Amino acid sequence: MTVQTSQRRSGGGYLDRPSSSGLADVIDIILDKGMVIDVYVRVSLVGIEILTIDARIVIASVDTYLRFAEATNRLDLYERGGKDLFDALGDSTERVSSGKVSGAIKGVKEAITGGGDDEEDEEERPRPAKKAPSPQRAGNG
Amino acid sequence: MTLALSELDEVLEEPQREAYYVYGVVAEIPDTSGLTGVQGAGVQAVRAGDLAAVVSVIDLDRPPTSRSDLLAHSAVLDSLARSGPVIPVQFGSVLADLESVDNDLLQGRDELFRSLLTELEGRTQFVMRASYREDVVLREVVAGDQRIAGLRERTRDLPEAESYADRVRLGELVSRAVEEKRAADADGLLAEVLPLTVASALRAGSGMDHVVHIALLVDNDRLSALEETLEDLAAAAHERMTIRLLGPMAPYDFVGDGDGLAG
Repeated sequence: MTVQTSQRRSGGGYLDRPSSSGLADVIDIILDKGMVIDVYVRVSLVGIEILTIDARIVIASVDTYLRFAEATNRLDLYERGGKDLFDALGDSTERVSSGKVSGAIKGVKEAITGGGDDEEDEEERPRPAKKAPSPQRAGNG
Repeated sequence: MTLALSELDEVLEEPQREAYYVYGVVAEIPDTSGLTGVQGAGVQAVRAGDLAAVVSVIDLDRPPTSRSDLLAHSAVLDSLARSGPVIPVQFGSVLADLESVDNDLLQGRDELFRSLLTELEGRTQFVMRASYREDVVLREVVAGDQRIAGLRERTRDLPEAESYADRVRLGELVSRAVEEKRAADADGLLAEVLPLTVASALRAGSGMDHVVHIALLVDNDRLSALEETLEDLAAAAHERMTIRLLGPMAPYDFVGDGDGLAG
């Protein structure tokens, strides 16, 4: 059996088809998935599991509401040039604010597994601070 | 030669430090020659009856939690899935020795494994994720609700401390409005996508931009139909959201403890 897929459409398709998965995608795909068997040892990924649960809890908290409010208020950036709201869409597709919650998860997942989403293959490398989630309350809501 | 008791312990423990990391179960012995496993070890298939487990030797003194180990786990399984059906085992599963492959892993579960492998034959997993362009959907929400627009006018130029209650209220209204849109948009996408799949499994999602995150099991001969449908959906919705399709990959979401496939 061979699976044939068009990895990347030529001619600018809208569907995003990454040809390989980065570390964040791989963790996301395999975490808690697959058949559970009786084993001699199970390697612990406790830190990652706790973090995933945190992300689910945080959804309905006041912190989340404040983040929604903040993001909604940030929209002024586009209005103040006198532009029509929808004329500004072109600029906004760069996504000034990518979802902070998911960003925080990725940041910490990478920290746990000791590497960024780049091609280097070092282990146990400390994370640079720049990718830390900006609101520090992300993990403990 | 006589050993002190403490030395004897060490000798007895020594062989236990090396064990077998398990990737998954297959029916046909696969070609594992080109595969690199966890800790950089070579990958081998161990036959037991008419099934085989795919394993590699692991040094337990070095827990396999580095990024290269995670990547190796998925690379080995995805590679196996490209050449035939495979049942992925959860990341981090280690067996003591080769006898355990027969005794603990395969023994007594042959039937379950065989029926799963039959169901997976000719099918492939993908993971689809749709995400809003956050600014666009927030604009829709502001334009669609006067209370939201009013609260936004009131709070946006005030310091957070002076408008805390209004901000919380604004955020609550916005998050509810986004959730309503999300549910409707997710239903719209799934109505087009699910008829092309054999089974599906919703995955957790979070964040302001989350629309839907779902694992899809697809018959290989409907793959191009799925890709075309998703391309059309992505094109139609591209001003509001992005659609991402990961795979082909091993069927991680469709081997859950013995309950088989939904379809």
